[in-house]
Amino acid sequence: MTIHLSILIALPLAGALFGRYSAITGSVLALAYAIAAVADFDSGASGLQYVTDETWIAQLGIHYKVGLDGLNLILVLLTTVLFTASVFWIIREKVERERLYLGLMGAAHSGVLLALTAQDLALFVIAFDLMLVPFLFITGIWGPVATRAAAITKLFIYTLVGSLLMLAAAIGLAVLVKNQSGAEHLSFAFSDLAKVRLPSSTQNWIFLGFAAAFLVKMPAFPFHGWMPDGYRNMPLPALAVFSAILSKVAAYGFLRVVAPLLPDAMAHFQLLLLLIALASVLYGSAMAFSTTEARLVLGYSSVAQLGFIVLGVFAIQDAGAQGAILQAVNHGLVVAPAFFIVSLLAKRAGGSEDIRDMGGLALRAPILAGLFLIVAFANLAMPGSSNFVGEFMILLGLFQAEPAIAIIASIGVVMAAVYSLRLFIRAMHNRVGPDAESREIGLTNALILVPLVGIILVLAFYPQLPLKKGEKAVTGSIAAAKESAR
Amino acid sequence: WPGRAPGWIGTLAIAASFAASIAALISLQGRGEEERQVVTVAWDYASTAGVDAQISLLLDPLSIFMALVVSGVSTLIHLYSVSYMGSDRGYTRFFSYLNFFVFSMLLLVLASNFLLLIVGWAFVGAASYLLISFWYRRATATSAGIKAFVINVLGDVGLVLGTYFIFKGSGTLDFLATFEQASELKGADLTAGCLLLLVGAFAKSAQIPLHTWLPDAMEGPTPVSALIHAATMVTAGVYLIARMHPLFEQAPAAETVGAIIGCVTLVVAGTIGLVVTDLKRVIAYSTMSQIGYMIMGVSAGAYVAGLFHLMTHAFFKALLFMAAGSVIAAMAGEQSLDRMRGFRKAMPFTFAAFIIGGLALSGIPPFAGFFSKDEILADIGAEGGWHWALYVAGYLSALLTAIYTWRMIFRAFFGEPSPEAKELEDGHLHHAEVHRNPVTGEEEDTDVGFPGADHHIAERELPMRIAMGVLALLAIVGGWIQIPKVTHGLESFLEPTFADSVHHAAPSDGLLYFGMILGAVVGIAGIAIAYKLWVISPEIPGRLQVRFAAVHRLFVNKWYFDELIEIVVVRPFAWFGRWSRHTFERLIVDGAFVGGTTSAVRAGSAAVRAFQSGFLRSYAAILFLGAIAVVFYFLLNS
Repeated sequence: MTIHLSILIALPLAGALFGRYSAITGSVLALAYAIAAVADFDSGASGLQYVTDETWIAQLGIHYKVGLDGLNLILVLLTTVLFTASVFWIIREKVERERLYLGLMGAAHSGVLLALTAQDLALFVIAFDLMLVPFLFITGIWGPVATRAAAITKLFIYTLVGSLLMLAAAIGLAVLVKNQSGAEHLSFAFSDLAKVRLPSSTQNWIFLGFAAAFLVKMPAFPFHGWMPDGYRNMPLPALAVFSAILSKVAAYGFLRVVAPLLPDAMAHFQLLLLLIALASVLYGSAMAFSTTEARLVLGYSSVAQLGFIVLGVFAIQDAGAQGAILQAVNHGLVVAPAFFIVSLLAKRAGGSEDIRDMGGLALRAPILAGLFLIVAFANLAMPGSSNFVGEFMILLGLFQAEPAIAIIASIGVVMAAVYSLRLFIRAMHNRVGPDAESREIGLTNALILVPLVGIILVLAFYPQLPLKKGEKAVTGSIAAAKESAR
Repeated sequence: WPGRAPGWIGTLAIAASFAASIAALISLQGRGEEERQVVTVAWDYASTAGVDAQISLLLDPLSIFMALVVSGVSTLIHLYSVSYMGSDRGYTRFFSYLNFFVFSMLLLVLASNFLLLIVGWAFVGAASYLLISFWYRRATATSAGIKAFVINVLGDVGLVLGTYFIFKGSGTLDFLATFEQASELKGADLTAGCLLLLVGAFAKSAQIPLHTWLPDAMEGPTPVSALIHAATMVTAGVYLIARMHPLFEQAPAAETVGAIIGCVTLVVAGTIGLVVTDLKRVIAYSTMSQIGYMIMGVSAGAYVAGLFHLMTHAFFKALLFMAAGSVIAAMAGEQSLDRMRGFRKAMPFTFAAFIIGGLALSGIPPFAGFFSKDEILADIGAEGGWHWALYVAGYLSALLTAIYTWRMIFRAFFGEPSPEAKELEDGHLHHAEVHRNPVTGEEEDTDVGFPGADHHIAERELPMRIAMGVLALLAIVGGWIQIPKVTHGLESFLEPTFADSVHHAAPSDGLLYFGMILGAVVGIAGIAIAYKLWVISPEIPGRLQVRFAAVHRLFVNKWYFDELIEIVVVRPFAWFGRWSRHTFERLIVDGAFVGGTTSAVRAGSAAVRAFQSGFLRSYAAILFLGAIAVVFYFLLNS
């Protein structure tokens, strides 16, 4: 079977241009196409599959080159799943100017798919920035009037700084590679860039540019200054995919761009990045169990979870990297339904998303409580969930590299139990809050939430699927860095 | 009883598990001793990057022994719950949790690799959490639940890290493959690994200092206390050490730590049991103490004895909890011993159950606990050296056990009947006018459930009588499977699992007989002391309290472990959370940390205002769509 990735990338945007039903069609078709790609994908083969490679801007050596391998395959599927759910959610919310909203989401969907499949550094950098733009618009238009302007400005400034550094790093990388290899033309294709290994001091400077952009986008401590305001102001259906997917593109960037192209720098900065990630885990967890805004509990929990993912990547061990990619998928699958649940809770707590205004919501809503419980358990990486397998692999890889950091990081596992369960208990258990009303989940909402929870359950039984699909590409991506770290 | 269908379905499912365990036992016994080790692989779970985890089960004498105890006792407790929980509005939910628990526990004991063991281990903790918080409208229940859960997660983390240390040397997660290389694994890594496994064992088995969740876990319905917090889950740590014995034997330091902690726990819990006034919490501390014996035993190489005590304890402790549940139901939910008196005539069946359970727990011959506890202590004595200290402490605690057990029995069943007992004697069941939380006295939401509109007591319902009757029988005869010098049922059955053990110091005949006599004397003395203190001259305990006020305070405050953990663990984390939130986060979000984002925002917001005015927004949208159009233009023209 031939899979044309360009079709996959274009479908969501094309569909979203023509209103509600075509937006649904576009997303669902993209999802179906992604499923077909995963089913057809040959996990035994190494290298890219379904490659499209066209010269885009010949003068600059920029190609439109997209392809799938074990690194991005499951993330692409995750993207289509969650964006599709989000489209249904938006329609269910009955927002004003729905068509524009769906259009922006479609653009974001396509942007993310492009960033994930891009096999050309310039294309990746462009898509990496473009995918953020629709979210700025969504926040600016549908966010709370009083505070949205400050929020998007902050978000914009942070990512702008990161992106400019990454742009400079990308150009620098391509030019230096051209000079060193003596090639005739400039090329941004990953395959060309990987042919040359720059001197390690040069790699270090370029590395910092990429790391800045990725760490801001995740966000990692202490680059998360935009996150609280950004999360508070972004409408939930957009925030769900933003938190679930955009942060993962950054984590993915480390494995796609940094590990193969800058292996010596990755080894050089291993400890620094591990410490940043460790701080993210501990700090994010501490914030998550002390804040009372439900969506910020999830926001800071994401900071901590992304910290785990970076720990896995920078363990520079096969187990760690495998765990990191698995965990990227798992966290996306958990956080999106979690935000959906927050929206349902807020509707039952008189519109408030503060857990102090909730309580006792399980009383007449056993199904909602059950679904929430599964999500909460998965979020705290309960053994038996795929999240645990991811975390187990991450910490194992880390243990092989830096046992002390692995042991300290495992404190974050206990803290995750505290904040996840605290969120669940404060919302669902104890007595019903004064302005809260316990109501069962409605059918249409259940149709959105149940499939998402179902995926969590399926993956819990068979985490081997993503692990196996990713194995070759993931271990291949860090092979050079592993050699260098030794 | 159509309304009770969920209960019957749940019970039958577990009974089927028990039947399957027996079938597995028979087919296992049909094999030669060397071949009693069957591994079944279902599918690959996480096998990549050097990790080799599969969904695979291991059937050997140890795992089938555990499966039999778990599914057997569970069947009876399910049966009991069918009636006991009958009027609770969460009836169906209760059984779904309870069956999830049994599934998890069976997964735990049958797992054939570390990863799957951890899954079962954590599932059991989750089920425990769900059942402790079962009456989730009570704030005391939800906070007890999260406490239990977090301590259990700490144990899970210990297990995971312990696995890493062992995996580092062995390169496999599979049990059998790991044990094969046990002798090559020696050294600091293995010791660290075993010590971390102990953290898991202590958390699950409520050993000091990770025990504080267990007394609070009594917030759960009483059948839960019987099943999870007495008979099965809390013994998982004992199973773990027995399962990992090839590793522990190569790490003597870990064995020593296990034995000492077990010993400390059994003494400390015994002293607290003397002064607690909540009926269920007395039994809970007794559970801690008895598990201390088991942990001490298996850590000192007395595997069969430890598992033997695990089995007999499951029988008589489940029985005691069921009987306690019966009394609590008659008291309409009230659990304080201070309020209970003279239930002897009102509830003869329950009284008999309590007596049998109490005799077994106190180690009076020929009841079950007598043989199993004495075997542990005899094996420990046979180890010699410093183990004699454990031996002495063991018998000292046996005295405490008898005293606190019979204090509970004498206070609840003897003396002038309390109003509730009188009411029951007259054939009417007491109903509280206002239901109150037994711990805080807070007025209950009627929605909480238990005891509901028409609650039941053990005396009157057949399923509960059957469950208690069978357990009472087992509490009497359960120990006969292994009478010193007479029968060796359990020892020869478990032989294939522990054949490779390095601990072979069998107690001498003299030690055996001395221990049995000492055990019987200590038990009877304890009962006599309790009779003197709480029946003949009930004014003495009050005088003793005044005389030894400091000691009494120490015991009543549970040796201040809660306060210690509060200061050492909870407060620093809470402080870190507050400091992050109120101090540090401001620096990052608003402050100068990243070049003053706030001022940058202020400058930027002018631009944004223009952006919001409409013109600029349309312009930006066109720009964005234009960019995409350009992309496609190049695409199509390339």
